[in-house]
Amino acid sequence: MLEWYCPSIGVAGWSAENNKQDRVTIVGMDAATLTYDTLRFGEFEDFPETSEPVWILGKEYNALTEKDEILSDVTSRLWFTYRKNFPPIGGTGPTSDTGWGCMLRCGQMILGEALMCRHLGRDWRWARDQKQREEYISILNAFIDKKDSYYSIHQIAQMGVGEGKPIGQWYGPNTVAQVLKKLAVFDTWSRLVVHVAMDNTVIIEEIKRLCMPWLDLAGEAEGEGEVNGCLEGACALAEEDTALWKPLVLLIPLRLGLSDINEAYIETLKQCFMLPQSLGVIGGKPNSAHYFIGYVGEELIYLDPHTTQPAVEPCEDGQVPDETYHCQHPPCRMHICELDPSIAAGFFCKTEDDFDDWCMRIRRLSCKKGGLPMFELVDSQPVHMVSVDTLNLTPDFSDSDRLERFFDSEDEEFEILSL
Amino acid sequence: MPPFDRTPQQNKPFKQRKSFATRKQEVAGIRSKFPNKIPVIIERYEKEKYLPPLDKTKFLVPHELTMTQFVTIIRNRMALLPSQAFYLLINNSGLASMSLTMAQVYKDHQDEDGFLYMTYASQEMFGH
Repeated sequence: MLEWYCPSIGVAGWSAENNKQDRVTIVGMDAATLTYDTLRFGEFEDFPETSEPVWILGKEYNALTEKDEILSDVTSRLWFTYRKNFPPIGGTGPTSDTGWGCMLRCGQMILGEALMCRHLGRDWRWARDQKQREEYISILNAFIDKKDSYYSIHQIAQMGVGEGKPIGQWYGPNTVAQVLKKLAVFDTWSRLVVHVAMDNTVIIEEIKRLCMPWLDLAGEAEGEGEVNGCLEGACALAEEDTALWKPLVLLIPLRLGLSDINEAYIETLKQCFMLPQSLGVIGGKPNSAHYFIGYVGEELIYLDPHTTQPAVEPCEDGQVPDETYHCQHPPCRMHICELDPSIAAGFFCKTEDDFDDWCMRIRRLSCKKGGLPMFELVDSQPVHMVSVDTLNLTPDFSDSDRLERFFDSEDEEFEILSL
Repeated sequence: MPPFDRTPQQNKPFKQRKSFATRKQEVAGIRSKFPNKIPVIIERYEKEKYLPPLDKTKFLVPHELTMTQFVTIIRNRMALLPSQAFYLLINNSGLASMSLTMAQVYKDHQDEDGFLYMTYASQEMFGH
């Protein structure tokens, strides 16, 4: 059964009521020729005619003159939705993720976008029934709903158990980011570094060490034959691949407010979609996860996983029936203020230069006035952070005594922290 | 399922438990005794389901303590894993830069009563 879920489908700016009228009109007009597609996509608003720029994953479009390009770009993204009738997770578990898998699917979408940038490039476009490139098939296969695909719903749900999430539980953006980080280690084909920046802080040195691990090796063991061997291996890799850098997927889980997004973050959030390294944002409206790929005006543009489709099996010739993996209706939109404050922003840096460029752009943004930075970019881990457990963090007892005497009528005492 | 419940004493936010005058007086008293410490109130977001409550609400922290250090202390108190989401929002609105010192945060965000208020929360989960 198709699920008609797309909350406030009014899709942006238009009220649900308007939308209903549109649907009635469409159904009325085409009653005789109702097809699966009109039924399915009839309720989606067309993209707005506006002179405001449209930003999709780092690309700028004009909605008046480039509507086809916008839709082609959106359709080319991988669209992962709820599926049903897949092999049971863990052998005896669920065969559908309807109702619980939306954030897991959003995690697949943001990582899928990274794999597309990694193997096909940001400018690759999908066309119906085109002969599928080998890399494209490999990417799809990494997400097919089977236990042994690198990033299948099976793998994500089972790896989540280690993050304290039994199979079938809801995830947050950080949960799925942590799981993808673990799964990426096994994807020797893509050789990605998935880094999850915690505490709203991105530490440049930490990332460089992860993406260029051989630098540490070189420093630590000078003159040791064995390690020289590794270095040679690293150089050999460099020749076949882009420099000495493992492609980086940077995920930054954030909380931009308590119950609602703090409006001071809205401009900064928009700027995320304008960076050429943008992988978009995973988050949602309360309870419903979405994959946000851009914005126009005050509306976020997103892919919605809340449609249940049957699971897909690859064909015998190796090609994958992929129509259901691309969203062929105009994308959903919602007002940016509806965004739940819990998100994770994603960026892809294929080369070290891409990463340096990203750092430069983030620094430039944080100098601009208007808009609060969503995270902080620092060169290195603060020295004190490394040894924080050696700090004297126990209450200062002489202070405590004085305090208790001073405030002996109070119901609660202060806890005194000392350096 | 919320794994932790608030202790009854913490049901109401600090600001609602005490009058403005009392809070102001309390800050004045503590500042005169400990001029080199900043009075901080740290409370759990009322809808938080995953992070445990802290046994203390009121802290006196050194001026030069950074937000990174403060967050690390709180994370350690709660025995959180490094991969668990934890956010400290100042005045229920914005995230503090981790490299700022408490004195810097206090200068910009102290309440009229003289306390610095922070709320901690993890992330929401999505599904329906």
